[in-house]
Amino acid sequence: MSVKIENKNGLSVFHVDGEMDINSSPGIKKSFDKLLSARTPKVIINLSKVTYVDSSGLATLVEILKNMRSYGGKLRLSNLSAKVRSLFEITKLEKLFEIIANEEEAVSTF
Amino acid sequence: MPDMLRLDPLAFLRNPRNKKTVTVPSETRYIRKVSTRILDALAGFALDEGRVFDVRLCVEEAVRNAIVHGNHSDRRLSVRVTYWIEDSKLFIEVEDEGSGYDHNALADPTTGAHITKNSGRGVYLIKKLMDRVSYNDTGNRIMMVKNLS
Repeated sequence: MSVKIENKNGLSVFHVDGEMDINSSPGIKKSFDKLLSARTPKVIINLSKVTYVDSSGLATLVEILKNMRSYGGKLRLSNLSAKVRSLFEITKLEKLFEIIANEEEAVSTF
Repeated sequence: MPDMLRLDPLAFLRNPRNKKTVTVPSETRYIRKVSTRILDALAGFALDEGRVFDVRLCVEEAVRNAIVHGNHSDRRLSVRVTYWIEDSKLFIEVEDEGSGYDHNALADPTTGAHITKNSGRGVYLIKKLMDRVSYNDTGNRIMMVKNLS
C-alpha cells in the first residue's frame, strides 16, 4: 500500500495504491496525519488503484472525514471501483461522503 | 488415484466429510493466510470477481472479529476456521476461544449517529454479503454460507 500526494489547482489529491485493510490502515492514517495537522482545506482521495477495502479501510476514511470536518475542511472521494462503491452503498456511507466519478470532475467542480 | 478424483480436483472439498480446517494464532497478520487458503480452494469454480471479493471480505471480517473481539488479541488463544463445499455452496465456520457475544445486540451501523462511528461495520457487511449467517448459542462461532452458482 502506498499514498502519493499531488497538488492540483490548489487542491491536495491523494492517490492511494493497494489494499485498505486492518493491516494497512494504520499506515494510511499516518499518511494523512500531516494533511490533518496542516488543516488542508480541500482534499480529494483518488481510489482508482484501491483493489480491496474492508471495514477497517472504511473506518479509516470515516475518521479522516470527521477530522477534516472538525476544522471545516472538505473531502471528496473519486474513481471508486464498482465493488468498492457497492460497499459504500451497502453501509450507507455514500450519504456521508461526497463521491465523484472521476478525479478531473472532482477537481473542476470543487 | 481413482479417475473421479483426477477429473474433479475439488472433489475433496465437495465432500462434506472432508472438511478443511485452518487454525491461526490471534494476530491480525494471519487473517490473510486464512482467506488465501479458502480462495485458493475456490479457484476451480471460476467465480466472478465480485463473489471472490465478497468471500474474502467476509472471511477476513469474521477472522478479525474472532481475533480482536473474541480472543482480545491474546496470542495464546487460537482461531479455528473450517470450510467445505456442498451442493455448490461454500460453508465457512469461524470459532474463537472467547466467551461469545450477542450479534443481535449490535447497533445498525447505517442509522443515526452510528454511521459516523469508526467501527461496527464488519458483522453488518457479513450479513449483507453472505447468503446465510448464523451463530452458535455461545456466540463465539459464526457460520456463513455463500452460494457458488
